[in-house]
Amino acid sequence: MSKVNQPNYALLGEQLDQLKAETMAKVGQEDADHIRKMIVIHRVFEWSGRILLMLGFINPFLWLVGVLSLALAKILDNMEIGHNVMHGQYDWMNDKQINSKAYEWDIACDGGSWNRVHNYEHHTFTNIIGKDRDFGYGLLRLSNDFRWRIKNLWQFATYILLSVMFQWGIAYHELAAERVFFGKKNDTRKSQISAKQLKRKFFSKGAKQLVKDYLLFPLLAGPFFLWVFAGNFLANLIRNLWTSTIIFCGHFTGDVKTFSEQECENETRGQWYYRQALGSSNLKGGNLFHILTGHLSFQIEHHLFPDMPAKRYREVAPKVQLIFAQHSIHYNTGSFIRQYSSVLKRIFRYSFP
Amino acid sequence: MKSLINRFSRWGSRNLLHHDSLGGYFEPVIQLFKPNWRAGLYRAQVSDVSLLLEGVVAINLRVDDRWPIHQAGQHIDLTLEIAGKLVTRVFTVASSPNLAKTKNTIRLVVKIQPEGGLTHQLPVLTRGDWVNISAPRGEFVFEESKQSSLFLAAGSGITPFIAILSSLQKERAIAQPIHLIYYAKPEQHLLVDELNELSQQLPRFTFELMSRAVHGDVYEQLSDYINAKLLVCGPNKFYQSAKEFAKIYDCAISAEHFSLMGITESTTSEFEVSLNGKQLSLKNTSPLLNQLLTLGEHVNYGCKIGICHQCQCTKKSGVVKDIRTGQVSDRSEELIQLCVSQVLTDLELET
Ligand code: FES
Repeated sequence: MSKVNQPNYALLGEQLDQLKAETMAKVGQEDADHIRKMIVIHRVFEWSGRILLMLGFINPFLWLVGVLSLALAKILDNMEIGHNVMHGQYDWMNDKQINSKAYEWDIACDGGSWNRVHNYEHHTFTNIIGKDRDFGYGLLRLSNDFRWRIKNLWQFATYILLSVMFQWGIAYHELAAERVFFGKKNDTRKSQISAKQLKRKFFSKGAKQLVKDYLLFPLLAGPFFLWVFAGNFLANLIRNLWTSTIIFCGHFTGDVKTFSEQECENETRGQWYYRQALGSSNLKGGNLFHILTGHLSFQIEHHLFPDMPAKRYREVAPKVQLIFAQHSIHYNTGSFIRQYSSVLKRIFRYSFP
Repeated sequence: MKSLINRFSRWGSRNLLHHDSLGGYFEPVIQLFKPNWRAGLYRAQVSDVSLLLEGVVAINLRVDDRWPIHQAGQHIDLTLEIAGKLVTRVFTVASSPNLAKTKNTIRLVVKIQPEGGLTHQLPVLTRGDWVNISAPRGEFVFEESKQSSLFLAAGSGITPFIAILSSLQKERAIAQPIHLIYYAKPEQHLLVDELNELSQQLPRFTFELMSRAVHGDVYEQLSDYINAKLLVCGPNKFYQSAKEFAKIYDCAISAEHFSLMGITESTTSEFEVSLNGKQLSLKNTSPLLNQLLTLGEHVNYGCKIGICHQCQCTKKSGVVKDIRTGQVSDRSEELIQLCVSQVLTDLELET
């Protein structure tokens, strides 16, 4: 890898492996209780939200609380529960419901598809241009590794649109990569799933979500169809904006580095860790903030240890920071405002050649 | 009507809530009110724990009314939550169906395994603790016939016979004579008091206690029973002796044998691995995923280095080792990553 003073990769690998082993040895009842508690909170907010939306006719204020409650539930399901469970962070529990094979989240994207693109491609090939399609999602130009095109001029608007529709962007992600509907097939991509299966999964999961939020629950409300329809729409919108923002803060702040495929050939464990470290950035915040981000506020730790129960990132973070300091690796962290404005600057900056 | 509601709730939970059942979706919420409640399993509460011998524990469980009562000789899965992890093991019910019917109680008699795991947790259980059990399963049951029966038990393999014999107790006198040969280390025979009692209550039942050191292999005891029907429960080796006898003399034999296969780590060995029912033979020299792919099996994978969990599959039984950490798995059902798993015993896998 091209960096002036390279860290001692072997030592870095060893230190981080050891930190992982130490922490995983502590994982147990506390972690199981945490994820179950999150699920309980989700169920409570989801169902109170859905009921309150129908009671909007008594007082619109109830409707507003309903929207927020449902949005909160959807955020929890997406981030602290769905994202983390689907990463396999709780597979050790042997629980029939809470594991990466069984869990399916409440968004338009089929869990299996996300697992392939995100858990495999993104987490394995983080920020390797050409292999990690999460880098700019094939829509945004975020570094000079990509040639500038006219469409990049209005990529800020594209970004806003992507955020608004984020769940659909994620749902469509793998299909875009596989050129299921448009574009020339990319022969170097080896897929374990056929275009037909992809399409079927995309439509069936998407349709289920649409029917649920925009037909079934509104119909249940009878004359208040539109109230519920609008409430569900808003809740989905809030969740989309939130998750998109958090995820952009984790990977596309100004300092985040990119890598080329050649650089990463025959990578050692230490080098892999190093790439993960430079490909992510953290957000500072309190307890509630961390939970609402699904602990992606610890994006660095998440990328180093993707299948460690996420709440543990809090205790490993200071140790990771120490190790990084020892190897003079930049530990990219900052407040939400700082990181987010850095993201916006980056999107804006690369709009131009 | 009920089945219609069931179908509707199943459809709803699958399509709207993305869970197999409504119970699964609400499980952590239900657990707030009913500790240890789990969709698809039954709850049972520990009512008594006692040590029968050094290293052998008897546990009485109170089952709820919904539990489908076992047939004598059947077994159940017992699931405990140990440090957040659900661990499951199979045990024969060592009490009569009648006890379950009248007192809602079943008893398990368990030998504590030296290698740890679930059985170590059993003596620590106390009255009032909750555990999970499955519905009863198994074909090892006793059928009445004219022919005389020979029961062969070894070690904790006595448990199904206790259940069978005590279920006969309450019923009308049985036609056939039953003889039990029970092998164990000297002074290590379990539940001898109960066997004595049973032999008094059942006129046609007799038993002998034996041990290898004194009486030799079980095979040598069988020559008097050429016409009997054999029921065997014990370790694999014990069963093999009986099976050989049955083959030579053409006796009917039905058996329940537990083979705790030894773990092979140091030497290069091949193991029987069943993948979705298909039998393969795999080595312990490279990770399971590599070998399956070389054999042309269609298994999912991604990174091949243990990050992405794409190669996740369910290990129904057997032992594997995580090659990254060196950690040796449990014997019971759990999720494993094929790309970082080395096989240590025969395995049953499901993708
Ligand atoms: S293939 Fe990625 S974890 Fe096994």
